[in-house]
Order: sequence, then structure tokens, then C-alpha cells
Amino acid sequence: MTRPEDEEKLSTGELNRRDFLKRVGYASAVALGACGLGLALYDPKGPAPSEGEKALSGLGDYTSKALASGPGKMAIVRGTDRAAMVERGVKAVGGMESFIGKGDRVLIKVNAAFATPASLGATTHPEALAAVADLCFKAGAAQVLVTDNPINNPDSCFEITGIAGAARSSGARIIAPRAALFAPVSLPGGKLLQNWPVLAGVFQGVTKVIVVSPVKDHQRAGASMTLKNFYGFLGGRRNVFHQDINGIITELSQLLKPTLCVLDGTVSMMTNGPTGGSLSDLKDTGTLVVSTDPVAADAVGVELLGRTLADVPYILMAEKAGAGQADYHRLKPVLLDIRT
Amino acid sequence: MGAAQRLTGYGILVVLGLIAVWLLVQQTRFNPAVGVALRVPLQGKSQAASGQTPSATAALIPEVSGFTPLAPSESFGPETLSDKIDGKAELYLSAGFKEMSCRKFGLDTAGKAYVEVFIYDMGSAQNAFAVFSGQRRPGSPSIPLTANAYATANAWFFTKGRFYVEIVADRASEALKSSLEAYATALLAKIPAEGEKTNEAALFPKEGLAPDTVRLCAADTFGCEGLSNMLTGEYSLKGGKATAFMARRDTPGQAQAEARRYLDFLAANGYQKVQTPGSPADLPVLVLDNSFEIVFVQESTMAGVHDATSREAALELAIKLKNELKGKP
Repeated sequence: MTRPEDEEKLSTGELNRRDFLKRVGYASAVALGACGLGLALYDPKGPAPSEGEKALSGLGDYTSKALASGPGKMAIVRGTDRAAMVERGVKAVGGMESFIGKGDRVLIKVNAAFATPASLGATTHPEALAAVADLCFKAGAAQVLVTDNPINNPDSCFEITGIAGAARSSGARIIAPRAALFAPVSLPGGKLLQNWPVLAGVFQGVTKVIVVSPVKDHQRAGASMTLKNFYGFLGGRRNVFHQDINGIITELSQLLKPTLCVLDGTVSMMTNGPTGGSLSDLKDTGTLVVSTDPVAADAVGVELLGRTLADVPYILMAEKAGAGQADYHRLKPVLLDIRT
Repeated sequence: MGAAQRLTGYGILVVLGLIAVWLLVQQTRFNPAVGVALRVPLQGKSQAASGQTPSATAALIPEVSGFTPLAPSESFGPETLSDKIDGKAELYLSAGFKEMSCRKFGLDTAGKAYVEVFIYDMGSAQNAFAVFSGQRRPGSPSIPLTANAYATANAWFFTKGRFYVEIVADRASEALKSSLEAYATALLAKIPAEGEKTNEAALFPKEGLAPDTVRLCAADTFGCEGLSNMLTGEYSLKGGKATAFMARRDTPGQAQAEARRYLDFLAANGYQKVQTPGSPADLPVLVLDNSFEIVFVQESTMAGVHDATSREAALELAIKLKNELKGKP
């Protein structure tokens, strides 16, 4: 209700009430129009990666076609000799021939995050890598590539960990990260992985992917095993993801479906991970897991660390996202004990 | 409406229009992640390669006879620490990390062992103790190198002043042990002498305390967000096991507020007050699934007992701790 003095001002001044209401109407229309324009122009996917380049939506599904429809396969091998454990474990899930065919180009993702010797247990053990690469070649692989993105001086990381030596001796080739191998990836429905640089170039021509990981404590994630190993595909200032470590690992679990996972818990880093440093951080847990299901493999690894799934939330989150089965018993694992 | 008002109105519209155009242009160009990926990865500064003045911590890494440098020293600041120790950098950053330098050596006298030396400048002796104690390997004996020093089969860990040092080998042997000791002694000689902070751990009652378990938690103690700079020590008592904790604050009011926050945290996690006939009224006991907690404030110190295995152990330790803190600022 306009007061009489205001009414007078409006009617005697340049602006009468009718004009005022009209202008309020126009202003509101402009404001609504601006909001509408903003909504119309809003791009929920964010900025384009770069001119002429399209963000990838994932790194691919490399599951064995013969096994794709059935339940996952798993073998849990108790022992101390990594080469023998890999061989027996792979044989128990059908043999490498059921995963790798003649002429396949195999990519092995290792954990070479730190330039520390294998004896400190912070990285994929070269014996496990060599055993997997040998089996791939025996199964007919035309080429075996080994990669990771350790950020800090990759060449040192590959050499000092013994991974480069193991690759050389088995005929595999190390692919060190370089700028040209990174491409932006946007995970459909992902909250974190939007136009983020990922080591996608190493997948060019690759037909099978095997992930070979150690079992480690991890200060932020609770544990670093198979799924956390996928973190090594990320480029950029990826440490920003540590604020939501479970979220990023869950999204990474949807980025790639590997052919096979080898989780090496022959010796596990129980404390002070992921770097460790003292031999007292390590424990002989004498177990190696071979599985087509990365979530199930990590569920076994959690037990080796003496923890529960509640201690490592990303495993159940990855299961919920459809990356695998956290109740590994459902895979009816083959249990082998090759200790002498 | 006057011409001036109209002109002002148009001016505002033009500015808004320019902002809209700018936003549109920026949206099509902006992509920091890919930009970062296409740059040469940020890495630790290699001192010898760059030829620049060594970082303060790099200059403290000695060259010792028998230790052959395998690479120049590298230095990392808060922005780049995760390039070297991704996954553990937050532990140091939350404790006030300033700078770290490291260098790799080959050790001929110990079967060509590989040794890496890390020296962290944590900004204060308290911060250095926080990262030292937070990573202390259980069961590893203290060594008389400094006030805070211990060794494992393949590594030495110690603090001096604001510096935290790790000397890590890839194997364990007697020959290596003496080499690591020689290196640690040489490194200590290069670290400038600074007034060591008062040993706050001495405030804990001694009876039943496992001295090697005294830790300084820089952040989020016992999972309670914001509960920082808390000293903890583990006890074996007649009534069972328990952990004592204490944190000095600037004022009694701050200590009271911290205590209330922790009590709220416990209540939110299901802890409930339990009646304890005959126990001091100012030491209420809370319990959840046979885990007992006591929280109290003494002057400007928030203190208490965490995760005691029995009510008796909780009360015994709380009374001892309260008596120990009496009359202290």
C-alpha cells in the first residue's frame, strides 16, 4: 500500500505509479531473461579439453570376452616364491592362455610410485612383474608394455625399484610418462574426473591390461592395493584428490576394467604407508591373489593388512559403483598352499 | 528520468554485457588440469643440476667417506612435497612442514647398499617431534643420539631442533649399522644448535608409561576433527591398558572449549556417562563397548584418558595425571 506522500511524489514527479510498475516489470523480465540465458549457456560438463580435442570417457574394458558374462575368477595362493605363486595362481584361474591370445599387446600397470628399492615394499616387486610378463609372452603376447606415472622422476622410480630391470630381462618395454601420452578424461556421471589429464596414450593399440600391485598401508586411503594403483594413471596436480581419496578411487574403478589383477601380498606394508622406509613396517603375509575382479582382490588384501572393509571405504563404494564384488567368497576362490 | 540517470543505467548494462562476454570467452579457454599435464611435471629441485644456491636443508646433508652420492640432492617445499612422498605429504603438511631435502647414496662397505637421507625442516621442535613420534615404529629401541632418536634394523630416525631426519637403507646388517651411525653423527654436526623445547612428555606420570609411545598428534587426534597438538602416551596399569592425553592451550577458556568439543564428539559416537561411586566428581567416566574415556581441564591444559580397557584403569590414570598437572601452568 503506497502512503499518500509517496503517492504524491510519484504522481507529481517524472515517474508516476504506472511507469514505475512498468519499469519494475521490465527489470524483472531482464533479470529473468539473464537467468534463463545463464541456464541455457551453463555447461555442466565444464570447459572443453582443448581446441579440436574431445575428452575420453574411460580407458576401456579389457575383460576377457570368454569370461565377461560369468562370475569373476580368483585364486589365493599361499607361499613365498612370487614367480611360483603367480604361475600357480594364474593356472588356477584358467591359465594365461584364457586371458592372453596370440598377438595380444599387453599393458601391465605397476606401482612404481617411489624411487625406493624393492626390499622396502613400497612398489610392485620386480619378481612378480617378471613372472606375469613371462606368462604373457608364453601365452603368445606380441608385446608387453609396463607403465606408471610416478610424478617424481619416473626413470629413477623404474630403475631403483628394479621394475625396469625386470622388464628388460623378460622382454617387456617400459613406457615412461610424457606429456604427449596424457589426454583429458571425463567420467560420465563423475564428480571428480572431469577433463582431468590421464595417461591414456599408453593404451594405444593395447588389447589386454594386467594390474600388478603390492599390498600397503596408506596414510590417506587406509590401504593401497589394486584399485589405488589406478591412481597412477592420473596426471596433473593429482594430490588435490587426496581431499576425497575414497571418491577418486571409486571413480577410477569405473574408468578401466582390467583383464587380470595380481595382488602381491607376499610381503605387506602394515604401517607407515605408502612410503614405509623401515623393514619393520613390513610383514611376511605370504599371500598372492590372482583375480579378474579388482574389488574382490582388494577385499582379500584388506584382510592381509588386518583390517576390515569399514577401514577402507572405497572398496564397498567401488562395489556399489559396479566395479566388482567385495564379498570375494562369492567368486569361489581357488585356495592353494605351495609353501614347502 | 534524467539524462544522467539514463546514461548511468546504460553504463551498468554495458559493464554487465562485457562481463558476460568475458565469462563466455574464459569458459571456452579455461582448462587448468590439461594445462598442468602438458607442462613439464613439477619435480624437486636438483641442486647440482640447477647450479643454484642449495636449499637450507640440502646444505645440511653431508658427504661422508664411503657414501657415494648416486644423484644430486633434491629439495621440496610445501607445494611439491607430494611429488616425492605422494600419499604421506599431508602428514607433514598438517604439522607445519617447511622444506625437505634428500639424497641417495651407494654404500660400498655394506655390500653396495642403497641409502637415502631425508632431512625435513618442520619449523619448530614441536612440529619435528610430531612427525617423528607419529611414525615411530613400535618396539624400536631409543638410541642415545639425540633426545628423540630410534633405530630399526635398516634405518635411523631422529629429531634435532626443528629438523626431522630419516636415514634409510635397503637392507639390514651389522656393517651397515655402524655406517649409518657414522653418517648420522656427521649430519648432526651440521645441524645448527638451537634451544630444544621443554620436554612436555615429562609431564606424564612415569609409572606404567611406555616411554616410546609418547606421541604428539598434530591434527584430528583420536579422529576428532580440530583436536590438534595433543600429546598422548600409552600405559599398562594394574587395572588394564589406557592412553593418557594432554594439550596445553593459551587460556583456561580455550582448554574448556576443547574439552567440550571432545566430549560432544564422544557423545556423537555413542559414549555415555557411567555412574562411578566413590570417584572424584570432576572426573566423570564415559563408556562405549568396554572402552572408557575421561576428560578434564586443569588450568590451561585439557587432559584425560582415552580408550582404557577398564573403569579402574581409566580412573587410576586420570587421578595420577591430574595430580601430575597440579600446580603447573
